[in-house]
Amino acid sequence: MESIVFGIGITALAGALATVAGAAENTESDIGSQGDPNSQVQLAPQMGYIHRIFNKAIAGEPPAYGLWVALGAGLAWAFMAMQINPILAIVLGSALAVFVQGVYATTAYLGRIASLSKFGQPVFIDVLKSMTTVTMAHAFVAIFTTVTICHLINAALGHPFPLPLLGLVWGIALGAAGSATGNPFYGKERQYQTQKFGAGVPIAASGNIVRYAEAGERNSLDNGWFSAKLGGPASGLCFGLIVFLELWRTVIFEKIGAGWGAIVVGIIIILVFTVIDRYIEVWARKNYGPYGEPAKEGS
Amino acid sequence: MTAIGAKPAAGAAMDIPSTIAGIILLLVIVGATYFLVGAGMMFYALIGVIVGGLLIAFGVHFVPVGGAPAAMGQAPGIATGVAMLAAGAGLAGLFGGAWAAEQGLVVAVITGAVGGGLMMAITCMFVTFIYVFGMGIPCASGKVAKDPITGDTQTEYKSQGTEGHGLPFVSYVGGVIGGLLGGGGGTLIYIMLLDVYKEALPGMMKALPAQVLPIAVSLAGIFAVGMFLVNAVLTAYNITGTIEGPHDPKFKRFPRALVASAVASALCGMVAILIVAM
Repeated sequence: MESIVFGIGITALAGALATVAGAAENTESDIGSQGDPNSQVQLAPQMGYIHRIFNKAIAGEPPAYGLWVALGAGLAWAFMAMQINPILAIVLGSALAVFVQGVYATTAYLGRIASLSKFGQPVFIDVLKSMTTVTMAHAFVAIFTTVTICHLINAALGHPFPLPLLGLVWGIALGAAGSATGNPFYGKERQYQTQKFGAGVPIAASGNIVRYAEAGERNSLDNGWFSAKLGGPASGLCFGLIVFLELWRTVIFEKIGAGWGAIVVGIIIILVFTVIDRYIEVWARKNYGPYGEPAKEGS
Repeated sequence: MTAIGAKPAAGAAMDIPSTIAGIILLLVIVGATYFLVGAGMMFYALIGVIVGGLLIAFGVHFVPVGGAPAAMGQAPGIATGVAMLAAGAGLAGLFGGAWAAEQGLVVAVITGAVGGGLMMAITCMFVTFIYVFGMGIPCASGKVAKDPITGDTQTEYKSQGTEGHGLPFVSYVGGVIGGLLGGGGGTLIYIMLLDVYKEALPGMMKALPAQVLPIAVSLAGIFAVGMFLVNAVLTAYNITGTIEGPHDPKFKRFPRALVASAVASALCGMVAILIVAM
């Protein structure tokens, strides 16, 4: 009984940490403009719209976070092998991984923006100076929390994978969940704030991103402030639920029916989310639209 | 060129000479492994690895991926890359499957599959949530007039100048099936390789089984992650950009990916097995 209570506590803690990780990851990627919406940041100067948005999308979020979290976890693991206290080891490992992220962000920004020089896009050194440290700070939060989750899973819950491999697996999953949930909010709602609410961006408007703020030109910190209101928390909730429910169904129900208990509970959870998804879809169909006539059969 | 401009270039037709060359290559690799390790457990592990790779390659085709256009609500699907999303789901499944490895092959593979499906179910639900409540955009497919599962008409919910947006129900179901197949396939590869390493490493390193277990787990885990990415990226090339799910015409291209994935998995599997067998 005691071990189950302990397992539930660790599961809850991991879920809470994952929520913070997801929110920090999405805000970091939006400030650095690393997700798919960056295609528009890259496209804008080519269409004649010069901007001051950061641009570091030389890798997708999942492999980038796979690298940084695996690096943080690997270094933390090495420090722990040197008999350093786990908390200190995780902080040190994450801090070193963040320096790699900083080098990545700097070189990515310079490389991507320099490639646009023939369209008249300048490299803004003040953008580099003010944004890079902010993305690094958010990345530290995301890496530290994810490495801590991996350490809890490995040391407290007894998962067989070593810490660096868990870092790679959960780093990729963190990037996948964060980019899937947060990208549309940054891409549509923020970069195309001038377009109609409640409709997709017409393909003809591609590249015409919003470049001016309340005062002066918009920069990526404004984008971080905006996406931290919904895209970040939703990504956090998404990753938090993934980690929490995955651990919860294993810790509590694995012993029932020689492993089949966890499987049945997992299927029930999938069905519950399917019903919620369908409810939201139908709710949207009732409340928004229709915008035109339904297509004739066979057309 | 943006991803929007990248229209599908080819249909579902199989290139016969390439397919035959692929099958011959597959037979050569399987034959060479049989010749080198005999008809023992290691040979069956290779077959398991190939089956796992096929499950991953087939599963990735189900995952609705909209890439960059989806991030602007210009095309349906999840706003990220094909290989990336599939890897996220599959590896979350592998995590669960590896945890259940002691409970036997069937339970572990199904646990891995459910883990991948769970990750996709939660992610897809949040994608719909953000589209509907964050952006006020309903789900509409650009490829079919009616959702094949629910029968909902799609075209009148499409906003002007876009190819559709959000995740119609069939895409959601496709995402969950993709996660199930990916998680199951990744776990199958892991367990097959783990058995090989647990068997071969103690003799090779002259150590007790308990001592080599962490090395066996790490090796099998990293090979499983690697092979997952090999199959996911191969399939992403076959899809070329974006796919809406099982109702998308591009879905019919899957036989080509299966042949390529069988050859790639066989080659990777042979290397993974021969590092301890030779």
